[in-house]
Amino acid sequence: MQDKLLEFAELLRANGLRVSPAELLDAVGAVARTGLGEREVLRAALASTMVKRAREVPVFEELFELYFSGLGEIIRQTGRAIQRALAMGDREFQEFLEQVERMLRESGRELSELARAILLHNTGELERRLREAARQARLSSIRRPLEENHFAKALERAVGLAELERELNEVRKAIGALPYDAETRERLDTYVGIRIRELQEIIRRYVRLDRQSRDPAARDRSRLSDIGEKSFYHLSEAELDRMRQAVTRLAQRLRNVVAIRRRRGRRGRFDAKRTLRRSLEHGGVPFRLVFDRRKREKPQVVVLCDVSDSVRNASRFMLQFVYSLQDLYSRVRSFVFVADIGEVTEHFRNHDAAQALEAALSGGIVNVYAHSNFGRAFKTFASDHIGAINRRTTVIVMGDARNNWNLPYDSCLREVRQRARQLIWLNPESRSTWGFGDSVMDQYAVHCDLVEECRNLNQLYRVVDRLLPR
Amino acid sequence: MFASIDDVIARLAEQGYIASRRIATVIYLASELKKPLLVEGPAGVGKTDLARVLALALGHELIRLQCYEGLDESKALYEWEYAKQLLYTQILKDKIGEVLGGTQGLKAAVERIASQDEVFFSERFILPRPLLRAITSEHPVVLLLDEIDKADAEFEAFLLELLSDFQVTVPELGTFKARTIPLVVLTSNNAREMSDALKRRCLHLYIDFPDRARELEILKIKAPEASEKLAAEVVSVVQSLRRLDLKKTPGISETIDWIKALTLLNVQSLDEELVGETLDAIVKYEGDIRKAQEELREHLRQVRARRGSATASDRDLLN
Repeated sequence: MQDKLLEFAELLRANGLRVSPAELLDAVGAVARTGLGEREVLRAALASTMVKRAREVPVFEELFELYFSGLGEIIRQTGRAIQRALAMGDREFQEFLEQVERMLRESGRELSELARAILLHNTGELERRLREAARQARLSSIRRPLEENHFAKALERAVGLAELERELNEVRKAIGALPYDAETRERLDTYVGIRIRELQEIIRRYVRLDRQSRDPAARDRSRLSDIGEKSFYHLSEAELDRMRQAVTRLAQRLRNVVAIRRRRGRRGRFDAKRTLRRSLEHGGVPFRLVFDRRKREKPQVVVLCDVSDSVRNASRFMLQFVYSLQDLYSRVRSFVFVADIGEVTEHFRNHDAAQALEAALSGGIVNVYAHSNFGRAFKTFASDHIGAINRRTTVIVMGDARNNWNLPYDSCLREVRQRARQLIWLNPESRSTWGFGDSVMDQYAVHCDLVEECRNLNQLYRVVDRLLPR
Repeated sequence: MFASIDDVIARLAEQGYIASRRIATVIYLASELKKPLLVEGPAGVGKTDLARVLALALGHELIRLQCYEGLDESKALYEWEYAKQLLYTQILKDKIGEVLGGTQGLKAAVERIASQDEVFFSERFILPRPLLRAITSEHPVVLLLDEIDKADAEFEAFLLELLSDFQVTVPELGTFKARTIPLVVLTSNNAREMSDALKRRCLHLYIDFPDRARELEILKIKAPEASEKLAAEVVSVVQSLRRLDLKKTPGISETIDWIKALTLLNVQSLDEELVGETLDAIVKYEGDIRKAQEELREHLRQVRARRGSATASDRDLLN
């Protein structure tokens, strides 16, 4: 069993779960105490010792199904299928099996253990034999679908399928000589016939299942580690989902960092006057030292996000990130624009982030199918929403500055800059393409305090980190 | 301690807690392996209650530490009783004078006092907080660290010694080793991801909302006065609410509150008006209430339609 658990732990690790040696030891200890009798119990024992993050539970469940219950379940399923084929209920089937046993005794034939296990539907014994055969056939080295056939054949050899077939065919012949009525004979004959074919089928399905659990394609299911460097441009649907999780986690991390920073920063210089005054309570003994409290300002943030097709993913995560961090800012206002500009702050307040983002990106606020026009958006912003900005505001613009040859109106951006504390531009395009074609990044850049490339999550994290109080 | 998994289920059931086989297995393992148990899950699924019931089932004392931001050692582990120490020095002034009598010079006096200072840093002047109490207790206890996710990361690190070795160190007195290993239960609402170091030391149990059958069973025990029909209706409403995207999904405790309120109002069967009036027992935010009302109207309409067709088919049968 230890080998089995070790292998399972390897499998979990290959799928991105972190299982430490100590946890594996716990799992071995746990299984030693609960035993293997019950699947639910085994599952609970392994889950509690090896899986410590709620979001990893689905991956564990899936692998557990593939790895542990797979073979047993297949054998039971075929058992049920046979039952159906013979049109018998549970009780009838049980009685029928007893009849088979009687028949075997009466025919006076010495059968191999495997044949007995199969004919008498001894699922436990069958499973044990197949696992043993799998070990001999080195099934654990299977990787690709093309290898299935080869391994199935190897397994058949290891389990002794050919001899079994011969044996069962002899049993079939012997049935004819038994003093039963025709109906019973026919039923027994059908049953043995099905059983011969069935083992082969079980082996095929077992091999396929085992291959699936080791398939390299399945492996990157929950690799979150490398997603930080993945460009926003190239994300599949599944990656979008993982990215959303990663954004939330990064925001969480940042929040923890800031919490510590704040606590450290809270203490200011030693305040001698107040310490003396306080010490009067204790007869002049300065039990409590008093320090200045530093006041610190939470930044106010205004986010302007381009939501045109080209940069939509980057904007999505920018907005989500800023909103996961809302409590670190005293005030966040968000605007989205393509050619028109519209505020989405209220949406975020009343809906959860996912819904608000959908609303913002689906065209409910501004027409997202228009051609980007940064100039017009800034002009409208400067005339309608300039009140959102005061000297404590950090303005973040997220966009590729591809202005479709429209007027840039960079004077409006300058006006925004003059009223704000700082202006940061995040460009999801690679730095080398700035200023080429219809990109007016260079004209806008002169008005910005900081222009950063922001193509992936790690860059986004660094930028947002810089906005927060130290 | 528990004899088997079935024993866990039976003894928790005696205390009115319906544990699934999965939950019972993990509890059994925690008590067998002497490992702390980290219970995660949404609010209101009975995480804290599990610890309480465990203590009752085992007949152990429950020592509870509610975690919050800024919780530190002096509130969780121990604190010197400065006031008491001061008081004692005042009262013992004469005695101290006596001790110091005949010393030559300041240096000798300090030496003399220093040789006595363990009097003041002894267990007499220590104020044990929950963690130290759990460690030094004569009898085995259940130690509940509630909402550990609310505490700071530093506090979590501080817990590691306690959780892996069941000992704590007080610099002046040395290390206290647990006389009996307490059964430690940590609960977390996942406000923040726990550190890997902590998770490695714990067994992990994720409790989710119960399915319909289990929730009915729980209601039968927690609110036996409610009629079965009402319980079934309430459960199906709550289960459908949980599928909605609410800010605060109603937990088991809310279901229990609601059915108790409904029983007090002598309600036999849910209708739209009643639900509207008592909805705030299960849904706590303004926006959620609006969403829930829409869902409920739909739900009740379906139930009525089903009932309508049922009676219709009854009639068909009669004809």
